[in-house]
Amino acid sequence: MRTLRRYRIFLFTLPAILVIGMFFVYPILLSLRLSFTDFTGVGIASDVGWKNYERIFTRSRYLDAFKVTIFFTVIVVFIQTIIGLFFAALLHRLPAVRNLCRAALFTPAMMSFVIVGYVWQFIYSPFNGGLNAALASIGLDGLQHNWLGDPNTALFAVAFAHIWMFIGYTTAIFLAGYANIPSEIEEASKLEGASNWQRFRHIEVPLLASSFTINITLSTIGTLKTFELPFIMTRGGPDGATRTLSLHIIDSLFGKYKFGFASALSIIMLILVVLVAFLQNRYLRSREENT
Amino acid sequence: MRLRHRISGWLLSAMVLIMVAFILLPVFYMIIMSFKSGAEIAQNPVGLPESLNFDNYRNALSKMNYTRSVLNSVGITLSVTVLVSFIGSLAAYPLARHTNPLARALVLLMALGLSTPNFVTITPIYVIFRDIGLLDTYLGLILAFTALNLPLAVFFYTGFIRGIPIELEEAARLDNCSEFRIFWHVIRPLLGPATATLSLFVMLMVWNDFTYPLLLLTDESKFTVMISVYRFVGNHNLSPSDLFPAAVLGSLPLLVLFLFFQRRIVSGVTAGAVK
Repeated sequence: MRTLRRYRIFLFTLPAILVIGMFFVYPILLSLRLSFTDFTGVGIASDVGWKNYERIFTRSRYLDAFKVTIFFTVIVVFIQTIIGLFFAALLHRLPAVRNLCRAALFTPAMMSFVIVGYVWQFIYSPFNGGLNAALASIGLDGLQHNWLGDPNTALFAVAFAHIWMFIGYTTAIFLAGYANIPSEIEEASKLEGASNWQRFRHIEVPLLASSFTINITLSTIGTLKTFELPFIMTRGGPDGATRTLSLHIIDSLFGKYKFGFASALSIIMLILVVLVAFLQNRYLRSREENT
Repeated sequence: MRLRHRISGWLLSAMVLIMVAFILLPVFYMIIMSFKSGAEIAQNPVGLPESLNFDNYRNALSKMNYTRSVLNSVGITLSVTVLVSFIGSLAAYPLARHTNPLARALVLLMALGLSTPNFVTITPIYVIFRDIGLLDTYLGLILAFTALNLPLAVFFYTGFIRGIPIELEEAARLDNCSEFRIFWHVIRPLLGPATATLSLFVMLMVWNDFTYPLLLLTDESKFTVMISVYRFVGNHNLSPSDLFPAAVLGSLPLLVLFLFFQRRIVSGVTAGAVK
């Protein structure tokens, strides 16, 4: 009786469980089931066994999409973390401009992917786009380029827009990490005569370990599932150079009405995201404990 | 020595300010370009506009269905905020006060919701919505956004409720209050600041998201702001005199909100991430 009463309060979680059940648990299970069928969105789906998965792992275009997704994520996470850390380290030493700069760096994150995508698409555009025009006006005509039209630069160009958008997030999280460093430690190292670089390298970086974990985990998950910027800026082109996994999902779903196949891709994506997040988190946390 | 230190501090500050301004260039560029006509952009692609020309804005406002889509976005945001804060805080209350296998299982369930990419669930949600008639309705979109924001809300409120002294509840319990009355009359009134931060999040999320409305809406009168921007700009093959005013109109309301609440938004982001 007493245990029953103790659990009765969990009735409060019922609405949340219903919502999560309807929008996460049931859809994932349905996706799993659909992934073994040739469902086209209408009519009856027939079972096709592992055919969808086989297709994904044997066709080079899907393997290429994996590579594009992973490569994109690696570039974004790596550069974003470094630039974010750079700004946080500087701003930490400059209290006078800290809040102003933090807010300014955060501004792009307040904009929508749609708008960031379109604005950057125009900046990169070969004719009177901002970047080429700016290069011309400072006499660097030779560097002008069709940034999004060249398969060699398109992915970097999209990644750059993505990094631009989320620099403020990374910086803000690192700054929160800096705020947690006890001031005694810094005072002591200053008295010992440590240089700025020594303090950064041997005191701040190790003490920021948990901020690294949060930043890297968040930006990895966010970037792995990216869809909006490549969708808006390049539609996956040129020549598949920016076609990420999620772009394939939307394309199979609403371009070709291959619901079964899109489901198989989604399941693989879920496994990829959960696996990467899990492994990364475990590695980063063990690193935290060692320092 | 001290003077040298101070001067190098100023120099460093100036340098950082320049770098930050450089990062903000695309935002200024967007605003400057929104006042230029197509011909002016062709002649003078990067400089300041010759005059403040509002023709682009007039054109965008009349063709974008702006007022209607702003009202749609605001209505959807308000509904989602109410639903998320009620369902989320209700669920967070037992999770914050009890640790047993059931609570741990529920926390795991929320974590699943938090880490599942939209894309994994979008196909089935589309199919379910079509079958039960929620496609192309405000209700469907509101429910989908509620689900999207709920896991974060539960974690957010759980952390916040843990910070409320338990003595307040115990006093009420001695007075024989029911658990729901305790939640409603003791806990709920204290959640104001958490709800404010959460609402800003929901606002950001709903205003800027374009995946759900793109896939779940076809009726133009129900479009959110971002879908209006997408349709308006996308249909015109990236004509700059359409793109830039639409981009400014789409970003402005949130940028103004951010200007006023930036401290709260930034600290909310970092608190949400760090906890």
